[in-house]
Amino acid sequence: MQTFRLSRWSVLIFAIGMLLLLMPLQEAIHRARPDKFSPTRKMQTGSMFGLGPTPAVIASLGGFRTVAADLLWLQMERVWDSGNWFALLPLLDAVTQLDPHFVLAWKVYGWHCAYNLNAESETIVDRKYWLNRGLEILQGAVEANPNSWEMVFELGWTYFDRAHENYRAAEYVKEADAMPGSPSYVSRMSYRVYEHIMDFKDLFPAMQHAVKEHTDEHAHMRVVTRDIEWWTNHWNDPQEHRRQIVIENTARQQRALPYYLFPNDPYWVVCPYDGLPSPKGSKVCQTCGRPFPQTQPGATTAPAG
Amino acid sequence: MSAQLTRLIPLIGLILVASIIVITRRAWAPALGHSIPSIWRIAKVTVAEARRRRVVQAVIVLVIVILLSMTFFSYLSPQEQSRMIISSGLTAITVFGILLSIFIAAFLIPHEIETRTIYAILSKPVRRFEFVLGKYIGALVVLGVITAAMTAVLVLVLLAQSRLVQSTAESAFNPNLPAVIFAAFMNYCALAVLTGLIILISTLSSTTMTVISAFIIWTVGSMQSTFHDLAEKAYGAAKVLLLVIYFIVPKLENFDFRQEASNYMPISVISGWDAVLHGIGYTIVVLLLAAVFFNDRQV
Repeated sequence: MQTFRLSRWSVLIFAIGMLLLLMPLQEAIHRARPDKFSPTRKMQTGSMFGLGPTPAVIASLGGFRTVAADLLWLQMERVWDSGNWFALLPLLDAVTQLDPHFVLAWKVYGWHCAYNLNAESETIVDRKYWLNRGLEILQGAVEANPNSWEMVFELGWTYFDRAHENYRAAEYVKEADAMPGSPSYVSRMSYRVYEHIMDFKDLFPAMQHAVKEHTDEHAHMRVVTRDIEWWTNHWNDPQEHRRQIVIENTARQQRALPYYLFPNDPYWVVCPYDGLPSPKGSKVCQTCGRPFPQTQPGATTAPAG
Repeated sequence: MSAQLTRLIPLIGLILVASIIVITRRAWAPALGHSIPSIWRIAKVTVAEARRRRVVQAVIVLVIVILLSMTFFSYLSPQEQSRMIISSGLTAITVFGILLSIFIAAFLIPHEIETRTIYAILSKPVRRFEFVLGKYIGALVVLGVITAAMTAVLVLVLLAQSRLVQSTAESAFNPNLPAVIFAAFMNYCALAVLTGLIILISTLSSTTMTVISAFIIWTVGSMQSTFHDLAEKAYGAAKVLLLVIYFIVPKLENFDFRQEASNYMPISVISGWDAVLHGIGYTIVVLLLAAVFFNDRQV
C-alpha cells in the first residue's frame, strides 16, 4: 500500500488560500441577496412606533427570525379575539420588523391603524393621527417590499378608500397595475379612482388602458366594456353627476372623516354654515343656498352647525 | 469586481486542484483504486451504525409527528396556513437536521476511539484519510435520507392541506412546492458543510467537546452576516477578531432560503449555486485539515 504525506505547511497554505479565494464569492452572495444580508436590514429597525424588537434582538435571532414572527403572529390572533385593539400594535410592529417580507402582516398592520383604530378614536385629531399612521406603515411596507404589487395596491386603496386622496391613490394603483402578477381588479381600480371624482380627462385614457389588459379574462373585459359604454353616454349627464356625488358623500359619512380635514380635496368644498359639501367652484351652498365667504374654511376650522 | 469574475475565481481554484490531480495521476491512480472501495466500505458501516442508533430513530419520529401536527393550524385563513406550515416545517427540518448532524458526526470518530474499535479498522489496509472520508460520506448518506424523508412528509402535508382547505380569491392556500424543495435541498447542503466541520473538530477533541463546539459553531454560523456587519463597524483588535471569526466560521446563512419560500418571494438560484460552490470549497478545506490532524493523532 502506497502512502502519501502532505506537509502540514502545504495543507495550511492551501486551506488559507482556498478560504481567501472564497471571500469574493461570499461578497457576491451578500450582494445577490440584499434582503437577507444588507447591514441596514438588521442594524436599523424600521419600527413605526418603536415598539418592536431592538436591532440586537433581531440580529441575535439569526435564522429564526421568521419563526419568531410566526409565533408572534399566532399570539396576535389570540389578542385579536380579546378585542384589545391597542395591545395588537407592539405585536404587529414586532412581526413586521422580524419578517419585513410578511406581506399579510403589513397589510393587517396598516389596515388596523387606518381603519380600526381610526374608527375607535373619539376625537377628530386622533382619527387623523391613526389614518396617517396607517398610511406611514403602508409606505414602510412598500419600501420593504418594492416588488410586491399587493403592498403598493394596499397603499393606493387606503389613499382612495380612507383618505379620499384619489390622485395620489391613482399613482399607486397605476404602479401596482404595471407590476408582474397583479390581478385584473387592479386594472379596473386604476380607472375607478377617477370615476369617483368624475375626472373625465383621466378616466377615459385609464379605461382604454384597462381594456387592453387581461384580455383573456371574460369577466374583466365585460365589466370594462360596460363601463366605457356607460361613461361615453353619461359623462355630461347632470343626473349621473349627482348620483356620483351622493356615492362619494355617503362613503365619507360612513367613514366619519370630516371634509375639512382634507384641504386639498379635488372635488368638494365645504359649507361653513351647515358643514355639507358642494362641488368645488360653487359660489353658493347647494344645500342651504347661502353664499360662500371669500376665504374657504381652513384645515383646522370646524364648520358651524 | 464583477459578479461573473467572483464566481470564476473559486471555480478556477477547483479546476486547478483537479488539474494537479490529473497531472499527478500516475502517483495517485493506484492509490485511488484502493481508496474508493475502502471509503465506500467505511461509509456503509457508518450508515448501518446510524440506523441502529435509538436517538436518530426517536428524532425522526418526533419530527414527522411535528410536521403532521401542522395541520392543526386550520383556524387560520388559507393564506396564513400555507405560510405557517411552510415556515414552521422548514424550520423543523433545519433544527432537527442540525441536531441529527451534530449527534451523528460528533460520535463518528471519538466513539470509535473510545470503544477502541478503531484499532481493528486501522490494522487493516485502510489509510486514515480514507477512514475520515468514509465516515463523512456515510454521515452525508444518512443525513440525505433523513432530510429527504422529512421533506417528503412536509410536501405531503402541504398537498393534503391544499386539497382540504377551501381557498378564496382573497386568501389562497399556496403550497409553493418548488421553493420548499429548493429550501430543503439548500438546508441539506448546510448540513453537509457543518458535518465536515464537526468531523474536523472530532479529530482533535472528545465527544463532549465536539458537541459543545458544534452548537457554538452552528449559532455563530447562522449569524455570519451579523459578524460581518459588526466587523465593519468595529476598530482595532475587536475588528481583527470579528474578521477572523467571519473568515473561519461556516457560512450557514448562505443556505437559508426559508424566508423566501414562506413569503413566496422569487428565489435567486444563482446565489444558491454560489452558496453550494462556496460550501464545496469550504468542505474540501475542513476535510483536508481533518485528514491531516487525524493522521497525526495518537490512537
